[in-house]
Amino acid sequence: MRHSVLRSGSLFLLVFAIGALAAAPLPGDVGPTYAVRDCRIVPVAGPVIEKGTIIIRDGLIDSLGPVEKIKIPEDAEIVAAEGLVAYPGLISAFSNAFLEMPARPEGQASPFEEALQARTTQPQEDRFPPGPGLLVLDQLKPKPAAIAGFHRAGFTTVLTAPARGIFEGQSVLLNLNGEALPPMVIRNGAALHINLTTERGGYPSSLMGTIAHIRQSFIDAEYYAARQAQYEKGPAGLKRPAYDPRLEALVPFVRDRRPVVFQCNNVEDIKRAMKIAGEFKLNAMLAGANEAWRAADVLKKNPMPLLVALDFRPPQTSLYATQGEELRKKAEAEIYPANAANLAKAGIAFALVSGANADGGAVLRNVRTAIKAGLAEDAALRALTIQPARYLGLERSLGTLEPGKIANIVLVKGGIFDEKAQVARVFVDGILFKYAEVSK
Amino acid sequence: MTNAALPRFAAFTLLAAAVLAGATVPAFADGGDILIKNGTILTVTKGVIANGDVLVVDGIIKAIGANIAAPPGVRVIDAAGRFVLPGIIDSHTHVALAGTNEGSEAITPEADVGAVINADDTSILTALSGGVTMVHTMHGSANPIGGPNVVLKMKWGRPSEELVVTEALPTLKFALGENVKQAGRTVQPGQTQRYPATRMGANAIIRREFAKARNYMARWERFNQAAKAKNPPRTLVPPRKDLRLEVLAEVLRGERVARVHSYQATETLEFMELAKEFGFKIQCFEHIWEGYKIADEIAAAGIGISVFADSWAYKMEAAEGIAYDAGYCAKRGVLVSINSDSGERIRRLFNDAAKTMKYGGLTEEEALRLVTINPAIQLGVDKIAGSLEVGKQGDIAVFTEHPMSAYTRCDMTIIEGDVYFDREALVKEREEAAKKAAAPAGKGGVS
Repeated sequence: MRHSVLRSGSLFLLVFAIGALAAAPLPGDVGPTYAVRDCRIVPVAGPVIEKGTIIIRDGLIDSLGPVEKIKIPEDAEIVAAEGLVAYPGLISAFSNAFLEMPARPEGQASPFEEALQARTTQPQEDRFPPGPGLLVLDQLKPKPAAIAGFHRAGFTTVLTAPARGIFEGQSVLLNLNGEALPPMVIRNGAALHINLTTERGGYPSSLMGTIAHIRQSFIDAEYYAARQAQYEKGPAGLKRPAYDPRLEALVPFVRDRRPVVFQCNNVEDIKRAMKIAGEFKLNAMLAGANEAWRAADVLKKNPMPLLVALDFRPPQTSLYATQGEELRKKAEAEIYPANAANLAKAGIAFALVSGANADGGAVLRNVRTAIKAGLAEDAALRALTIQPARYLGLERSLGTLEPGKIANIVLVKGGIFDEKAQVARVFVDGILFKYAEVSK
Repeated sequence: MTNAALPRFAAFTLLAAAVLAGATVPAFADGGDILIKNGTILTVTKGVIANGDVLVVDGIIKAIGANIAAPPGVRVIDAAGRFVLPGIIDSHTHVALAGTNEGSEAITPEADVGAVINADDTSILTALSGGVTMVHTMHGSANPIGGPNVVLKMKWGRPSEELVVTEALPTLKFALGENVKQAGRTVQPGQTQRYPATRMGANAIIRREFAKARNYMARWERFNQAAKAKNPPRTLVPPRKDLRLEVLAEVLRGERVARVHSYQATETLEFMELAKEFGFKIQCFEHIWEGYKIADEIAAAGIGISVFADSWAYKMEAAEGIAYDAGYCAKRGVLVSINSDSGERIRRLFNDAAKTMKYGGLTEEEALRLVTINPAIQLGVDKIAGSLEVGKQGDIAVFTEHPMSAYTRCDMTIIEGDVYFDREALVKEREEAAKKAAAPAGKGGVS
């Protein structure tokens, strides 16, 4: 009983904190100025500053350095941070955060239930709208508690991806700066997400069908784009190309090389995705990839952005999962947690991501497990800051603590990967969120 | 431990020992060099050498004969009292795949099993334990036109891309009869049976798809001609590339051959007519329990068959299957192979081949061909595998007795000079694993 009272108490405080501080300044307004004083600073870019000050002005990092070198502006609100460590806000370059997926529409017939003659040979995916054109932003309902959960684990930026079907739709990149969605959006339609899975009760019902379906879709999108271009160049004598919302949504990903993220559920999926990416010259990233170490050879030969989920369960098809409970448990406890460490050892770059895990605290616990399995702490930190920023094309504005970058900063009691680490203060877009008490 | 519990325990520890040792790469790879000495060499195509040696260097058979000296550093296997034969080849199975059928539609030649190889399938190790080194792993038989198949070597522990045999003939799976008409499927109220629901429908839908493919090829031909012109018209529009029809076009151009699941004589003859009409090549009929009825027609058409040794009459369309099917057809000049169609029967293909000696009167040599050189010819890999000949790849099995003996057992399976299965070594590992498991926790035991 006592426990739950405490919980709801802190939840109240939390909601209050976010409510009070979440109002992002309107464009043109000048946000508040903060001086974060006397903290240890881990900028990721450059050496650690043992006792430093960070000046935040109008949502950006104005300056940072050792206390004696940074002058505190007169209008600055002082944030006493003695005993805290400042890190760049962590970035999860792949998550399903804040997602409330609608159930599959009721009463849809499976292809078995229709006469073949009555159907075209077109893949049936369009019957599960809206496929590649879906913008996940339209489905998000971030709850303050969920945002606070990410903050408390040090995350200030997440890419939220849809999670249903083969062509799942397009993700949104969010800076977790409050409660309202629009001010959080860094980039809508950040990437197209494809899962190497099957459609239940329809085409494709097998993975090989799925791969053919994905390839045919990209072929069709290229063809569609070419027909549109040909028509625009000179319509006389040409039949007007028919509008197709599905292909229209795919065009930017084949023609303009906007990012495509493949959900890779095992070692073979990594190779399958790489093949498709190569065939259509996609700007591809591989997500999940918890068996990436097993594909180290091919990844070394052909480096791909890896969004490695901290999911240590062996995939169902893996030989680690099919040989009895003893081996499966051992693999989950010892072999899979070493994925990131093995990649680092092989010199393969990667980002660590929260993936389907909606609990920020659990994500951080899993980072600690990966560290215990041999991943260096600074490698883990880079994999959660500058590396994902690079993958997402955000390295000029996020991922490190440097003047001119967005003020996404977490202030932690202890090292961020320590068992007892507690996030005390979080800045997102220069907006201050208060969590754990700061004691001296 | 009771005797009954032993096999299951053994199977687990065999695998677990290998996996727990961190071995995603076989610990027993020898760099492609090996010398097998003093065995009875069953070359299959060049007779039997009573007391002979086989030398493999860099994965290729370099010498076969007596008293071959081991080059420095090459591992030597003493096969005295044992039989050395080419690795067994399974012409028709479904192992090492993530999914077998794209059953949602009747025509799916775009669904390529080569895209979904699963090198983690423990059937690979099962196959090795029966001397199998190469398999033709296929799309299932749910569809009149299934998908392309792939030929793999059973290199357990190696990455999937290293398993693929690129020299093999490209093949496409077709199927006739009960499976494609979904005879066993209960149609729920309000549902319609997937077309086709009859054998004539199966024939018709295949003909329709080939007609479409012909059209498709003609459209591309017209486009390519027009595009070649000095000043192609500005309004020239290429056809849409269709993966489904591309594969059928490969069949029509002779770049890919048909492998046809068929049981009964009539539908088989009809399909042969269809192939003649469209001018494509049938490489092999699969299972074909009524093959004995049309053996001469099949032989005359130069088509092979890949069949079970038993399981006759196991379903309606196999009702007229007879035990003599394989042996009789072989005697009539049909290129016959015995297949497993299974990740379990795959470990005793040699037993199945031997059944043709009792049912059909084949000799030992003839029976052995059904799982070695014959499937190699069917897969178009007889230049690299299927017999022990200098210059072929070093895919070799070592058996305790003649492989057509009921008492034989596979001791060792070698692919391209690397040992992928070594019964003695694995048994030793198993015993050590058992000892370790029995030891008290904290002293090396499993807690």
